[in-house]
Amino acid sequence: MTDVGRHPRIELMTLSEVADVQGYIGNFRVKVLRKARYVDEKECTACGDCIDICPVIKPNEFDLGLSTRRAIYQPFPQAVPAAFALNMEECLGNNPIACGKCLEKCEKECIDYDMQDEEVEIKVGTIIVATGMDVYDPTELDEFGYTRFENVITSLEFERLINSGGPTEGHLIRPTDWQLPKRVAFIQCIGSRSEKRGNPYCSNVCCMNTIKDSLLIKDHWPEVEIKVFYMDIRAFGKGFEDLYKRSKANGVMYIRGIPGDIREDPETKNLILLAEDSNSGKVVEHEADMVILSIGLIPSAENSLIRQLLTLSRTSDGFFMEAHPKLQPVDAPTKGVFFAGCAESPKDIKDSVTQASAAASRANILMSAGKFTVEAITSLINEELCKACGVCARVCPYHAIEFDKEKKLPARVIEASCAGCGTCGAECAFDAVIMRHFTDQQILGQVEAILEENPQDKVVVFACNWCSYAGADFAGISRLQYPSSIRIIRTMCSGRVDENFVLHAFKLGAPVVLVSGCHFADCHYINANRWTQKRVEKLWDKLEKKGIRPERLQLEWISAAEGLKFAKVMKEMEELRQGVTLEEIEYTRKEL
Amino acid sequence: MAEEADFKCLRCGHQFKAPYSPKDEPQERACPQCGSNSVRRIKEKAKGK
Repeated sequence: MTDVGRHPRIELMTLSEVADVQGYIGNFRVKVLRKARYVDEKECTACGDCIDICPVIKPNEFDLGLSTRRAIYQPFPQAVPAAFALNMEECLGNNPIACGKCLEKCEKECIDYDMQDEEVEIKVGTIIVATGMDVYDPTELDEFGYTRFENVITSLEFERLINSGGPTEGHLIRPTDWQLPKRVAFIQCIGSRSEKRGNPYCSNVCCMNTIKDSLLIKDHWPEVEIKVFYMDIRAFGKGFEDLYKRSKANGVMYIRGIPGDIREDPETKNLILLAEDSNSGKVVEHEADMVILSIGLIPSAENSLIRQLLTLSRTSDGFFMEAHPKLQPVDAPTKGVFFAGCAESPKDIKDSVTQASAAASRANILMSAGKFTVEAITSLINEELCKACGVCARVCPYHAIEFDKEKKLPARVIEASCAGCGTCGAECAFDAVIMRHFTDQQILGQVEAILEENPQDKVVVFACNWCSYAGADFAGISRLQYPSSIRIIRTMCSGRVDENFVLHAFKLGAPVVLVSGCHFADCHYINANRWTQKRVEKLWDKLEKKGIRPERLQLEWISAAEGLKFAKVMKEMEELRQGVTLEEIEYTRKEL
Repeated sequence: MAEEADFKCLRCGHQFKAPYSPKDEPQERACPQCGSNSVRRIKEKAKGK
């Protein structure tokens, strides 16, 4: 951090929030709200005179409330810049002035009660999102007694307790009597890997954190008895298995089973854990002086705001989604935006550093080149046909279409931002959007070719490039058979499937049409497939009004890994096709 | 209490209730019986018929 702070080409903006992001790759304009520090950070030397005199005492957030701080403080000892900040909501010296002691004490006159927040706009070419994560609050898991028993603490609280810069200067104590605990129990997977409470995913870091903590205790206090209650120990990184073995060799006991209940002895404040050891099948009571809940990681509470500002996608677990999990693991779907660390998924320090290095390199490649190559599948506006209604701009997940509502000028595509999902093309009622390589003519041409002969024997399937089409591929390489009546038309996104494509297929005699795309959480174009769903819902209404069974238009979300589902759905489509009569098809042709 | 609406699966015909509010973002829906995503909301007007 200090190196970053001193680097001549890095401007560190602390106590700041991103208020707005406009523009696109190479041309982002970012509004940053620089909050008032009320201390001149260039002048302050962090001498500490103001702290000694400040009468306001508050819980120290960095120590998770295990110690206190003053209203004027440094958030943590290694904070950069090495200057104090004043929390004006806590300070007594604000309006009306009731204290002002720090002001009098500071010889360098660094303190300024009248300092104001300030908004600055910066221009940047690329953005790296490294917003971190939060930790799971175990309050809802009442059986572990986190809110009832003082000697039940979280792994993060333990981290501060055992840290030499922490509230006890690294001395291991238990909260009730400040004595060294003789028996310590760790409980793993708190808030992780649970479908009912907490989160279904593995938080990645907790097992190794516990192993590290157990070794720390054993190194300093070898007499302390340690038991770790776990589901599985996931020690898959380089050197991790060795560390696990070392922990066991040092006498740490690993018991496969999570306690179902914790009680407290009212006299000793010791904790009694009831747990089944699934290896022996026995339910055993264990007594511990202190219990440490190994809490999982959760997405940062700020993710919703950042997602909106940068038009990002999130996976179902709430972490940000990469442009591609294997081939572009640090790129965001929005060009010029990259991820580092736990913003993308729970990860340890090593993985975070690796990803941060990769993100910095990816950004640097773009910045050094000074040019950016766009794939030739972007959309283009036919100005003669454009009625300046603004629908294309409204539906674009990337805000890649500019539209002046007042001047009523034709829309304009920012090609550097356009990802080529084609939603604008599907939603434009005036056919004014041309999707390069996926034009209306090209797709309608495929529909016509499919239905040229014996249309009653065909099922027209629109499949998105990234998921459903890849699902078909996966079904193929898995040797899963599906009916030969299936005819697939690939689009980059299901959002490209225009109402006219579907109606044209029915008009040419298609018995069944299927529109398929990525699951909502997997959409490769942020949220373009939400528009697919809306469009299909409208089409169902339209077909019904015309006396056509809406069941003949089907919608399905199939991921690239769901080859089995793809084959199953195709078989169901064939069954549906067989249920459509020639009379129905003829009626449809006439009605459309 | 969350608002609910009636839905019909266009694959197996199963009808079911699920949380729904017109103000909400569109959600991925699946039929609880067959798992199909061809799930259509039965609108009030249609229910009265």
